[in-house]
Amino acid sequence: MALPGQKTPDNCPSFKLVIVGDGGTGKTTFVKRHLTGEFEKKYEPTIGVEVHPLDFFTNCGRIRFYCWDTAGQEKFGGLRDGYYIHGQCAIIMFDVTARLTYKNVPTWHRDLCRVCENIPIVLCGNKVDVKNRQVKAKQVTFHRKKNLQYYEISAKSNYNFEKPYLYLARKLAGDPNLHFVESPALAPPEVQIDIATQAALEAEIAQAQALPLPDDDDDAFDS
Amino acid sequence: MDPDTLSKTFVEHYYNTFDTNRPALIGLYQEGSMLTFEGEKIKGAQAISNKLNGLGFQQCKHHISTVDCQPSGLLDSMIVFVSGNLQLPGEEHMLKFSQMFHLVPANGTYFVFNDIFRLNYA
Repeated sequence: MALPGQKTPDNCPSFKLVIVGDGGTGKTTFVKRHLTGEFEKKYEPTIGVEVHPLDFFTNCGRIRFYCWDTAGQEKFGGLRDGYYIHGQCAIIMFDVTARLTYKNVPTWHRDLCRVCENIPIVLCGNKVDVKNRQVKAKQVTFHRKKNLQYYEISAKSNYNFEKPYLYLARKLAGDPNLHFVESPALAPPEVQIDIATQAALEAEIAQAQALPLPDDDDDAFDS
Repeated sequence: MDPDTLSKTFVEHYYNTFDTNRPALIGLYQEGSMLTFEGEKIKGAQAISNKLNGLGFQQCKHHISTVDCQPSGLLDSMIVFVSGNLQLPGEEHMLKFSQMFHLVPANGTYFVFNDIFRLNYA
């Protein structure tokens, strides 16, 4: 789903990627890290959306995500169906430093799935570079109930930037062994995450996956 | 004041208050007032104020493009229709919006009896 004037290269499979989540969680920052996408983005004022063509190079060739990003309409309530229609994959973003943004994930998931049935979805917890987290890895359980993939990211440091796209590319291609053969050009990191912090984050997530799911039926989380 | 001047003055006051001192908007509504905000119906000055103050952005700037008004025979009230653009902090593009007010006179001034707000996008 490119906008008029955006031309998909020959022999390049392309997919509409919708990115949702509360305002201020870093969706736009995350999308803008990909530099060629940033150069070739296009804004469509009647739909109020900016579409970034994000190219990745895999062992099976080039793949393009047309990543749809809002102009901030989500700060007024839910998004209209036109934003979701023909979405082929999705990212739901929350901010690990703002509890409410995780609480709202089930609502975004419901709105998304009402229009886009059975598409691959990645849940992303952003801003893991920030010291005082409000949502710990073990409190993030929504993805396990709904069979989503979960990644912790830090858009400003590029930490795990490629992970969500790789997961979606594998699902869309139906090839679990697909891999990226070169890295896209990214905006330089604005903050740093050190190796030790990364390792600690990953260990925490691995531990959280091993815990039993809370059996409460509501999707809220308490702490 | 003629209806056109009155509505224009009201609209300038409303958005200036919204952009610089949002909590003060409560004074423009009354108990029987109703706001429909992006499809969500909210009744009463306090609930309306809570909604407007709880929106997920702080500073913003309304740019008015058009103001239309009609006197309504009922209670000497007025219908005002506004279109414009809204600049949010951190957003590159302005959002288009339209808003309708039904102003009803009381105690020598007007209050907002009905208020309908919509962003304009497909």
